Amino acid sequence: MSVGEWVLLAYRLPREPSTPRIALWRALRRLGAAQVVDGLVALPADSRTRERMEWLAESVMDARGEATVWIGRPGSAAQERAIAGRMRTEVGAQYRKLAAEAAGATAGTPGARKRTLGRLRRELRRVRRRDYFNAPEREPTMAAVQRLAEDLERVAA
Amino acid sequence: MRWATRSGPHVDRTACAWLVRRFVDPEAEFLFVDDPDEVPADATPFDMRGVELSHHDGDCSFETVLRRYDLDDPVLWAIARIVHEADLEDDRYDAPEAAGLDVLMRGLSMVRSDQEVLELTRPLYDGLYEYLKRADLLGRAPA
Repeated sequence: MSVGEWVLLAYRLPREPSTPRIALWRALRRLGAAQVVDGLVALPADSRTRERMEWLAESVMDARGEATVWIGRPGSAAQERAIAGRMRTEVGAQYRKLAAEAAGATAGTPGARKRTLGRLRRELRRVRRRDYFNAPEREPTMAAVQRLAEDLERVAA
Repeated sequence: MRWATRSGPHVDRTACAWLVRRFVDPEAEFLFVDDPDEVPADATPFDMRGVELSHHDGDCSFETVLRRYDLDDPVLWAIARIVHEADLEDDRYDAPEAAGLDVLMRGLSMVRSDQEVLELTRPLYDGLYEYLKRADLLGRAPA
């Protein structure tokens, strides 16, 4: 396996105020970025992830921190596998949580179950956005949510 | 006036270009650069790191342009919510249109040049403006 291009954000933020730290942490979590070491996070590079990292760097600067964005390649395929594996495990757990919720949504009124379906679909879409390495849990989770949708159609029919 | 932004424009940059040409500078000419250092001295840069008309305090560039030029038209702010979610996906707003707009822009930029993308998206944003204006007047989706 050959290594790919990654976009890295190196940053330092003042301890206080904590609001920018929390906002950055949330944004990185939403993006599914991997923490390489403290103050260095990475994502597989594409036009979207590059741009996101640039704006996050900008927000760090706005909060009186320091930030630089780098494009790089892991020094070995093994390093890339390790970091990609960690990201896949993280996303896999998020998929499993959604799949369990979909499977568990058997009780309740059709209205409540429909709202659950809507929420699960939105969350699934978000998780898929940060699934950079095709986690094996994706297909079964999509199937579980689809089953819930089909169940509800039968109830309505 | 000349305006400069990064090449490969998606939602935020195409929407800003439309906004500038329609509400700020009808004679606007747009040029695309790969690096902020390439912006000519006489051009106003936007949606690039380190410039005024860019992301600030959690706002996308479109929102920054609205603030900078005191554009308080509620329809423009309705567009801003869609652009914001398409660009940042941070759930600050509920804008289900954002995902579709983002996909259309990304696809368009794969098959057309930057200048062509700007020309093609102009009527699109004109239409979005008109739609949201009617929605605002009616208090519901028009047609």
